[in-house]
Amino acid sequence: MDFTLTSDQSALLGALDRLVAPFESKPIDFHGFALVGSDLERELTEGEYFDIAQIPEMGALTAAMAVERLAWLPYTADIALSMLVRPHLPGDWPRPLAVVENGRPGRFVATARTLILIDGDDISLAQVTPDDVEPVDSLFAYPMGRLKRQPKATKLSAEDAATVRKWIRVALANEATGLIQAAIASAVEHLSVRKQFGRPLGAFQALRHRMAECAVLSGGVRWLALQAAATADDGDAALAALHAQDSATRIVYDLHQMLGAMGMTLEHPLHLWTYRLKALMSELGGRGGQSVAVAQHCFA
Amino acid sequence: MDFQWDAEQRAFRDTVRSFLAENLPADWESLAHGPGSESQSAFSKTFCGALAKAGLLVPHWPKRWGGRDADAWTSFILAEEMWMAGEPRGGQYMNVNWIGPTLMRFGTEAQQDRYIPPIARGETIWCQGFSEPEAGSDLASLRTRAERCDGGYRLNGQKIWTSYAGHADTCFLLARTGIGKTGMSVFLVPMDTAGITVRQIPSVIGEGDIHEVFFDDVFVPADALLGAEGQAWEIARNALSLERVGIPRFALAARMLRRAVAALKKADRYGHGAVEQSARALAACEAARLYSYQIVDQRRHGTPTGPEASAARYATVMAERLVGEFVVEHCPDALAGGDPLLLAHHQRAIVAGIASGAAEIQLNLIATELLQLPREPR
Repeated sequence: MDFTLTSDQSALLGALDRLVAPFESKPIDFHGFALVGSDLERELTEGEYFDIAQIPEMGALTAAMAVERLAWLPYTADIALSMLVRPHLPGDWPRPLAVVENGRPGRFVATARTLILIDGDDISLAQVTPDDVEPVDSLFAYPMGRLKRQPKATKLSAEDAATVRKWIRVALANEATGLIQAAIASAVEHLSVRKQFGRPLGAFQALRHRMAECAVLSGGVRWLALQAAATADDGDAALAALHAQDSATRIVYDLHQMLGAMGMTLEHPLHLWTYRLKALMSELGGRGGQSVAVAQHCFA
Repeated sequence: MDFQWDAEQRAFRDTVRSFLAENLPADWESLAHGPGSESQSAFSKTFCGALAKAGLLVPHWPKRWGGRDADAWTSFILAEEMWMAGEPRGGQYMNVNWIGPTLMRFGTEAQQDRYIPPIARGETIWCQGFSEPEAGSDLASLRTRAERCDGGYRLNGQKIWTSYAGHADTCFLLARTGIGKTGMSVFLVPMDTAGITVRQIPSVIGEGDIHEVFFDDVFVPADALLGAEGQAWEIARNALSLERVGIPRFALAARMLRRAVAALKKADRYGHGAVEQSARALAACEAARLYSYQIVDQRRHGTPTGPEASAARYATVMAERLVGEFVVEHCPDALAGGDPLLLAHHQRAIVAGIASGAAEIQLNLIATELLQLPREPR
């Protein structure tokens, strides 16, 4: 048990900090929901960051830290699935990846090259062409897409399906970690500068305590997400995804409330993180689905 | 970063579990009614004596005081196993967590020689004389006075909600020797000193835990003062920082949750609502566990403990609350004669957010120190 970063982990996070510097803030004239980071994705590809989980000194835990760090950015791309799930797919499947769950629209589906198709307990993989998919307008701050036609798919064995499901949970939890942290930081900035009744909003205890509770939840989400990446345990993955979805449900609402009317605008970047979290909340059956998995793996 | 126990840590946990298996009586779980109870306080003196002989009472202490300089993980693994077993050390967990280490840091040689060996032998109980009727979270407003007199001090005042006072041999007492935060001092006061009266407070948390303690013209010699006059704030802050993640409540909470789920499954009552609620409660216990480990890891590396300790404490409060709510909603029979262990845990779980500094104080610290939000006006 040691919670200190290894030198490889510190070096990787330092390199990522430098790489993401141009992507740290939202363009002033962007007033939409899905801020797609094509340039970011290209830089990550060129730097071979999508393969860090397969490097022995790095592994899934370090990849999870990278997912968390990159989820802080206002720009988005398929990072979590590529970094954390792709290494566990049987065979070589090209990225970007996306999940289609029970036929619903999914994140990055319109630009993915490999789809993970979830139908009830079954999971299949399919390589897709742009003719198989189409973008969908949505309220979520990811580019959403759906299938236009059913692609030729390879059904996974029950064992492989369970593995993929587990790593989707790990990916979801670590992405949620970064999103929650960035969203909280964004609200803290507002509470520190916005004054009412002659003092910063952040000096009012009613708001301070709610924010502090959000911060505690956020830290817990992070620890569970990192633990799940490190242990690759089914129960840890289910707990991490559950705590992420459960905490996000509470935190997203609170943070918009903290911003008051500013939280209703597209000028402020908060929605870029919170409306991504809203997309994550329903994945793999949402809290109910994760709870069943926790019961199966942790209360056996 | 590594989330696995190493071989030495696993072996130590096994050693502690074997010790518990050999030294707890067969009917322990029906006797275990909380650290301050009559039965548990009495048992703690036998049990802690045996722990000490086995080298398991104060392994994290320096060799000079009977320890072996074991690292912070060792003492926390020990604490997890003890608390999870219903804390057979009774109130003595406080001695080894912070009273002993505080005496080592601030005590004179004579004070250390007098008080530390009985703690290391597991034969003494202490109480913590901090809270007063007008000084709870606002500890600096305490009124108990210590006035200098010939050869020492005269103590007058009242303490309240004092854990373990009914069985305590010594009180770690905060009293006022001047004005404000710099006018507070710590005294080490034998509880059989003339003028001390202890009354147990009937409580929802079970028998023996909380008391009123009255000090009526109590004389203590000058050498009862710990550190310097006016040093209490520094000493108390140091002690509370050791205490903040001192009790691994999440460990017993998770064990009781599993026990409740097992009972529901056996009775075929583990339905969808219970599944969701139990899973959320377990996630909260896990979050509290890892948060606490972060603090232990900081201690092990000698890093000063930051506001994360407050977050760890609050995460533990959340976990205790969710487990408690689960039991109330799904296992009410356990609290009505069905399971003495679940009952004892449930009684004391409410303490999590109140003792060692109210949870709301932790939220204030998190807001200011972790989130860096502007301070409230004073």
